[in-house]
Parts: sequence; C-alpha cells; structure tokens
Amino acid sequence: MKAIRSIFRLNFLNDLQYRSQALAGIATQFFFGFVFIMVYVAFYESGNTDKVPMPLTQLVSYLWLNQAFFSLIYIWTKEKDLISMIKNGNVAYELVRPINFYFKWYATMIAKRVSRVLLRFFPVLLIAYFLPKPFNLMLPSNLETFLIFLLSLVLSTFLVVAISMVLHMITFFTLNEKGVLEIFMSVSEILAGGTIPLVMFPTFLYKIAYVLPFRYTCDLPFRIYTGNISISNATPDIIGSFIWIIVVTLIGYLLTRKALKKAVIQGG
Amino acid sequence: MSFIEVKNISKTFKVAKRGSGLKNGIKSFFKRDYIAIDAASDISFEMDKGEIVGYIGPNGAGKSTTIKILSGILVPDSGTVKVNGLVPWVDRKEYVSNIGVVFGQRSQLWWDIPAIDTFDLLKDMYKIDEKAYEKTKNELISLLKIEDVVKVPVRQLSLGQRMRCEIAASLLHKPKILFLDEPTIGLDAVSKKIVRDFIKKINKEENTTIILTTHDMSDIEALAKRIILIGKGKILYDGTLQKLKNRYGNNKKVVITTQNRLSNINKKGIISHKKNEIGYEFIVDVNILTINEFLKYLGTKIEIEDVDIDNVGIDDVIIKTYEEYDL
Amino acid sequence: MKLYFHAMRLHLKSLLEYKASFVFGLFSQVFVFFSYYFIILALFNKFDNIKGFTLYEVLLTFAIIQFGFSVNEIFARGIDQFDDLIVDGSFDRLLIRPQPIILQVLCTQIAWIRISRTVQAIIVLVIALVNLDIAWSIEKVLVLILMLLSSIAIFFGIFLLMASYCFVTVKGLEVRNVFTDGGKHMAQYPIGIFRKGFIFIFTYIIPYAFVNYYPILYFLGKSDNKFYMLSPIIVLLYLIIPFYAFKRGVKKYASTGS
Repeated sequence: MKAIRSIFRLNFLNDLQYRSQALAGIATQFFFGFVFIMVYVAFYESGNTDKVPMPLTQLVSYLWLNQAFFSLIYIWTKEKDLISMIKNGNVAYELVRPINFYFKWYATMIAKRVSRVLLRFFPVLLIAYFLPKPFNLMLPSNLETFLIFLLSLVLSTFLVVAISMVLHMITFFTLNEKGVLEIFMSVSEILAGGTIPLVMFPTFLYKIAYVLPFRYTCDLPFRIYTGNISISNATPDIIGSFIWIIVVTLIGYLLTRKALKKAVIQGG
Repeated sequence: MSFIEVKNISKTFKVAKRGSGLKNGIKSFFKRDYIAIDAASDISFEMDKGEIVGYIGPNGAGKSTTIKILSGILVPDSGTVKVNGLVPWVDRKEYVSNIGVVFGQRSQLWWDIPAIDTFDLLKDMYKIDEKAYEKTKNELISLLKIEDVVKVPVRQLSLGQRMRCEIAASLLHKPKILFLDEPTIGLDAVSKKIVRDFIKKINKEENTTIILTTHDMSDIEALAKRIILIGKGKILYDGTLQKLKNRYGNNKKVVITTQNRLSNINKKGIISHKKNEIGYEFIVDVNILTINEFLKYLGTKIEIEDVDIDNVGIDDVIIKTYEEYDL
Repeated sequence: MKLYFHAMRLHLKSLLEYKASFVFGLFSQVFVFFSYYFIILALFNKFDNIKGFTLYEVLLTFAIIQFGFSVNEIFARGIDQFDDLIVDGSFDRLLIRPQPIILQVLCTQIAWIRISRTVQAIIVLVIALVNLDIAWSIEKVLVLILMLLSSIAIFFGIFLLMASYCFVTVKGLEVRNVFTDGGKHMAQYPIGIFRKGFIFIFTYIIPYAFVNYYPILYFLGKSDNKFYMLSPIIVLLYLIIPFYAFKRGVKKYASTGS
C-alpha cells in the first residue's frame, strides 16, 4: 500500500512538472467537447426530436463528463514500462519480487489514472458548468443520484484497469501492441459509449453493446449522472459491474500467470 | 589561393540560464537570462586540395560548430569561408554536391531495407549519371568489403558493417571534400582497419580533401599529418603531429619490473615516476638522458628484473596540451 | 519528382518487411476510420436532418475533408512529425543534400499504411454522390475537383505551419490537434451549422469553410453564387503563408543551430 502511495505521489508531482502540457491537454479537450456539443445542438435545433431517446441537456452533460474523466476511463492507456518489459523479456525478473505481479501493475495503473485525472477533471467541469445554455453541464438531480454515480465511476475505474491488464497481457503473446489491439481499441471505445451514449445507437448495435462489459466503463456512470438511467434501474447494472470486474480480473490474473510461466521457461 | 579558406569566423550561441527549484522555474517562465557561449571565436585556417586534417578538441570545444559552418548548415556571425570558390551557406545547393559528410553517431541509411536501396535513392538525390554511379558504387563496395553486407536489411548489420555502408553512402557522388565525424567510434579492430585503409586510399587516388574529427588518437596517428587543436572556440595548435609531440620533448615511457623500493630519484631527464603493481613507471626525456644512461643509473639503485620501453602516446600529449590551456 | 517516387517505393518496401503488421495495420485503419463516420450514421438514425442538410449531404462534406486529411497523413507525414527531425538532429542531414528541403522532408516518411483511410474516404464520397440527386455539369465537376484539391492543400498548409513553429520551439505542440483534428472534426459537417464565432474563425483564420462549405452549397444547388464555386482557390492562396514561414524557419535554423 505504501508503494502504491508513492507511485501515486510521484506521478502527481510529475504531472505538475508538465503543467503546460496538462494545460494544453485541458484546452484541447475543452475545444473538442465544444465542437461535439455544437454538432448535437445543431441536430436538436433542426426540428423533430420525437424519436430521440435522450434530451439535449442530458446529452451535453454526458459529453462534458466524458471529456472530464477521459484520462480515468479510457480503455487502452499504454503502460510503457510494462510493454517494454514484456518485449525485452525482463518480465521474468519481476517474479523474484515479493509483491504479486498482477496486483502490483493493477494498482500502479489505478494510481496513474487517478493522478492524471485529478489535475484535469475539475477545470473542465467548472468551466462547463458556467457555460451559457444549451452548452452547460447540469447538476445531478439529487444527492442520491450523485452518490450512485460516484460508486459507478469507481467501479468503472476498476473494470477499465482490469480490461487494460488483459490487453497488456495479450501483448505478451503477440509481442506487438499494434494491429489487433488497435482494432480492439476503436471498437471498444464505441461500444463503451465513448463517442455517443448507447441509447443513440441503432437497435442492433445497442443490443450487442448491452451484453458486453465495455458499457459499464463510460455509458453507465455518465447516464446515471444525467438521470437517463434512473436509480431503480441502476441497481442491476451496478451488480453487473461487480460481476464483470470479478470475471475480467480473474481472466487477467490467469493470463498473467500463464504469461509469467512462459517467460520463465523461455528464460526471459 | 587555397582550396579551403576560413577567415576569422566567429559564432556565439545564446543558452537560456535556469536555476533549479520551483521559484527559479517560475521566474524563468517569464524572463530568461541568457549566457553567451563562444562556439567559435576568430577561427582561421587554410587547407590545400588533397590534404587530411585531424580536427581535435574536447567535447564542447566548438568542433562541430566549425564542421557545421563548413558544410553549410550554420551561418557564422562574422568571418568568411570560401571552399573551391564557393561560400557554403550562400550557394548551398551547388556547394553540397561537392561534399560528403559521415556522422559517426547518426545514420543516413534506411533501417528496414538493405543499404543498396539507400544508395540507389542517393543516386537520384545527387542526380548522379547512371554509368558513373554503377562504377563508383562497385568500387566503393569492393574497397570497403561490403559485397554481401549491402544486400541485408540495415537493422541486421553490426556497427562496423553499418559504418562501412555509411561511408560508401557518403561518397557515391564523388565529393571533393569529405567530413568524417568520429568515423571509427565503437568499431571492432577489423572494421577500424578497413575504414582507415580506405580513407588513405581515396585520399591518395581521388585526391579527396578530408577533415576528420575524432577522440580516437590512433585514427589521427594513422591518417593525419596535420592536426588542428581547438578549445573553447579557439585554435590552440595548427601543425604537424610530430611537432606537437616534440613540444613536450622526445619522451619515452619506461616500465621497470623490480622487487626493490626506490628512494630519492634525482636526475636530469627523468620527468616523472610512479609506482605500479610490478615496479615503477618512468617518463624519460631521451634528448637529455639516453635510455642506456638511464638504465645504468637505475641499476646502481635497484635490481632490474625486466624493462619495457614505449613511446609516449599521443593521448598523453593531448591531455598535457588540454591541461596547459586549462580546458 | 523522380526522387520522390523513388522514396515512395522504398517506404513501401520497408513496410513490407513486416508483412503481418502491415496487413493488420491496414485492417485496423478501417476500424479507426469507421469510428469517425459511425457518429454521423448513428445520429441520422435518430434525426432526419441537421439544419437542412441530409445524411448524404453531410457524408459528402465528411468525405471531402477526410480525403484531404488522409492524403496528407500518407504523404505529408514527414511534415506532420517534423519535430522529430529537429529533436534528433537529422534535419542537419537534409541541409547537406542538393535538393529542396520541403521535398526532402516529404521523402522522410510516407505512411502507406493509411492508404486504407483514403480508399474509405473515396468510397464514402462515391456513396454520397450516387445517393444525391445532382444536376451534373462541367462547373459541378470543376467544383468537386477544386474541393478535393483544396482539402489536400489546407491540411498541408496547417502541417507546414506547425512544422515552421518547430524551428522556434518543440514544446506545446499538443495544441496543433486543435487545428488539425479539431478543425477536421468540425469541417466534416457543413460549417454553417455552427455558431457565428466559429464560422468566422473557420472561414477567415483557418479557411475550412472555403474547402467544403461554400463550394458545397453551390455543388448541391443550394446557391447559385459563382464565387462560392471558385472559393477553394482562396485556400490555395493561403498556402503562401506557411511556405513563407517555413523558409523563415530554415533561415533561423541556420543562424542559431536549433
């Protein structure tokens, strides 16, 4: 636990060092958010919105939240140290350390993501809140909603890192982080609701996305915040999150064990 | 008029000064203090066609600045350069067809494909006529012994093989002047010898003018009669290697193996002595004290088991010169 | 030109050294690109128009801008990643070669792998054209060609301007995403749908509107203004600025060496 704290501290200080980059990052994120939203505003202003399952105010808030928490819940954030360790075979040395390999990296990724998002989410949300209508971020309708949103965001972080660990371990077997994983990345981002909320999908795609774990990482927490998913409907989804976290963590854990065994046999 | 004429060139760089810590970090964000560094101050020299010059000096002495000016990459603040009647940075395109540059630490070869493909591209780059290109290419390949090497993707080559390909790539257009920046750095003995023999050969046969920068003094000893020693942007010495050596006397290193201990050595001509694991190491100026006299003198004091005599290496000379100029 | 074609061949050869990742790369580009027009398709599933523009009209706008961008991603990648040349010092090498510098920068990288994006952009373009009811004429063909050309030109210009900025400093380059990716994202829709301030910036400061908004109004018969037809030419004139800036940058490099 102490090790995790120092990883977190180090990353946070490091991010502070590169504050001009962080600022540029926030500015870029903000600009993109604005462009996306303008497109939607134009759509909603163009007349008939009967078929649309999500009111504009909810959608706008959804997009701001997505921009603000992007660095926390983006599925494929490469862990350079881990990848290079996998590629050059040094991963075998990790076995002699007294700390569990899987959970060490699991915790490292969480620490990094949290430290990254801490610097970024607040300014985006603050500015978004004070924007004129219809571009502004709305507040959640009640405290209960907000708390459930927080819970689901925390769960989302765990799930994202578990998925990310599986992806990193896959590079152990393919020895290439491009190709298959790039395809996976762009597909999973869509299925998570990273471009638009799932309710805006065509029906067939909506059905596919609903049975996969990705939607819990982005679509679920932000739709809970906006009230698009009511508290009573959220309960089964929260349970679903738990189940997926356990399943994906287990897959990642077993995959890691297999990978490390292979590394030992190969002699690194 | 000489082939290369460098007259009074000076070049100053501004480098931002920055203290450590948060306070200084913020301060330098708004206002920067600059330090001026003289990378070249009032440098002048001439070279004849077909000469080889070793351009040496410690890191940061201004070697690469001069090379960059001579190859047309940098413009000096003041002074003039004329090479073969051209000013490098003014007539850039015309001028660079006349020069070849080998950067020992950087590659111009394409990583994933055989070197021969890069050669073909350079043919188009320099607009070399087909026939002449084939002839030059084959000559270079056989001289540098890279017949098979050029057909293998560059990423699979050893450093020595790659360097030989680099050199070939820089000479395809038959430049009149060749700049070699640390061409033997990190090479194995075989490659080093091939490279040196090759440089000698093209210098002799093609009358190529060569400027060589290196930290490896055996390169200089093997190739350059004349050296230019540079430090803190100034020329400290320009002349033959032998003369520089003589400046520090005609010294020899004598290593004596002995069990005895030596006390109060006091004889003219013994410049220094120090103890090592097997005995003592002396530097003797043979103009004052011949080896014969030296051994006789020593024989009266200790029992000599074995003797080893060596010329003082150029490395020692250079280090002495640096010390003298406080570099 | 011979030199450039030669470089194109060699880049392809380099790429084919890694056959498996080449195939996967081409394939993955299809998916990456799909995520771009996925939003448009999804939204038109719920809405029937955006400020009077229909699905295929938006796809036409989209295809034109993506075409120009992807062409630059293939052929002007050396300029897009110019900071690498400055940082690792290989720019020096270009200065000791008897060829125009911009040409040499172009030769340093050609990302064939992204050709699948260009192909998809062309496919989307054809689909849009087939489904739109266009009264073809010589002028319409001309304006279509002009739009495609100016789309290439505008991204080339922005890349070159950013490359010129690298001569001053290579810090803070993240901001360039606003102009390239951000601008590209806006201009995949008819720019008229946006708020006035944005339209102004993306008409006069960075002239995306002249690439595929005003000309498309003419092309779709929404306007008869002949000036709209010729407006992509303005984009070509804008290119003078980045070329001049780059030239100044090279000069500065020669006097400071950084």
